[in-house]
Amino acid sequence: MHLTDHLTDVQLNEYLDEAASERAQIEAHLISCGECSARLTDLQALFSELESLPDLALTRSLAAPFTSPRSLPVQLPAWFPLTVTLQAAIALAALVIAAPFAIRLFPLPAAPSLGRVFIQLQTQWTAWLDRLPAASQFKMPILPSLSFELSSLFLMSALVVVSMLWLVGNGLLLRDQIK
Amino acid sequence: MNTPTDRDLILKARRGESGAYGELVTRHQVAVFNVCYRILHERGEAEDLAQEAFIRAYDRIHTFDVDREFSPWIRRVAANLCLNHLESQKVTTELDDERDADQAQRPESVVETNERNGQIRGALASLPANYRLVIELRHFQEMSYDEIAVQLNIPLSDVKSHLFRARKILAEKLHAPD
Ligand SMILES: [Zn+2]
Repeated sequence: MHLTDHLTDVQLNEYLDEAASERAQIEAHLISCGECSARLTDLQALFSELESLPDLALTRSLAAPFTSPRSLPVQLPAWFPLTVTLQAAIALAALVIAAPFAIRLFPLPAAPSLGRVFIQLQTQWTAWLDRLPAASQFKMPILPSLSFELSSLFLMSALVVVSMLWLVGNGLLLRDQIK
Repeated sequence: MNTPTDRDLILKARRGESGAYGELVTRHQVAVFNVCYRILHERGEAEDLAQEAFIRAYDRIHTFDVDREFSPWIRRVAANLCLNHLESQKVTTELDDERDADQAQRPESVVETNERNGQIRGALASLPANYRLVIELRHFQEMSYDEIAVQLNIPLSDVKSHLFRARKILAEKLHAPD
């Protein structure tokens, strides 16, 4: 930059934005040139006018949706999603451990053919229909008394509890997506 | 009793203390609304987007770095929402089009008690939307050219040309004899 050349608008803008690479040269020119320093003063005045523009007031409070606790969505902590994997692993482990007990308690019948299942269902359905007029004489069947071992009962309950936790956890996570 | 800092309020909001986030919003709502207003120049839209900015921030409250200042962050969130809003509306004019904005823009008449402030607002409203964005980010959010380029996803050369042209238009409008 030649000292006798006037400063460009770009130089003045960059100087005020503190982004000019040739600061020393610009300052040297400004000292010696009244015209350029007047242009700089004008630009500076525009900056301060802009920046001193007062804030406008709001017509409504933006805090309203956040002040009533009911309207606030429940915030799940950041670690929460990680527990889902843990819950799934525990549920799976419980399933594996409980499976032999469950099979012992409720032995699976030999897999019947689909046709036989239908026939059985139909027979049961018609038998039930036959009994329907005699509904007034219907007696509650007496449930066979099962003598559970404590350990099996405990494992079965644990399986149920873990499954419930898993369901609730997933429900919470998917809540927003369902909405 | 000491007034809680923004950081305190954010930590309380994270713990689910009702009212903490509301207080944070009350503190910053005027500043955030004015960011939106300076960019959009439409009161209803500006209030809606300012509201949206606080909702977005609330959704991210658990990942916000509490050692950062809340105010610059929320104002950037708001500016970004306004940018997306303008882009979705295709209000943004051609980048190099230094058109006479007077006919195309419809600056909202704001009850401005100070005549000079009214003139400045009118001049700002007459700028193309992308010029208003760079003015907002440079003058009101004190971002550097590089930061503006990143925020708006435009080249550095565009940041400078938009900013310098915007200032030229403003100076012409504000210093013109009546
Ligand atoms: Zn000069």
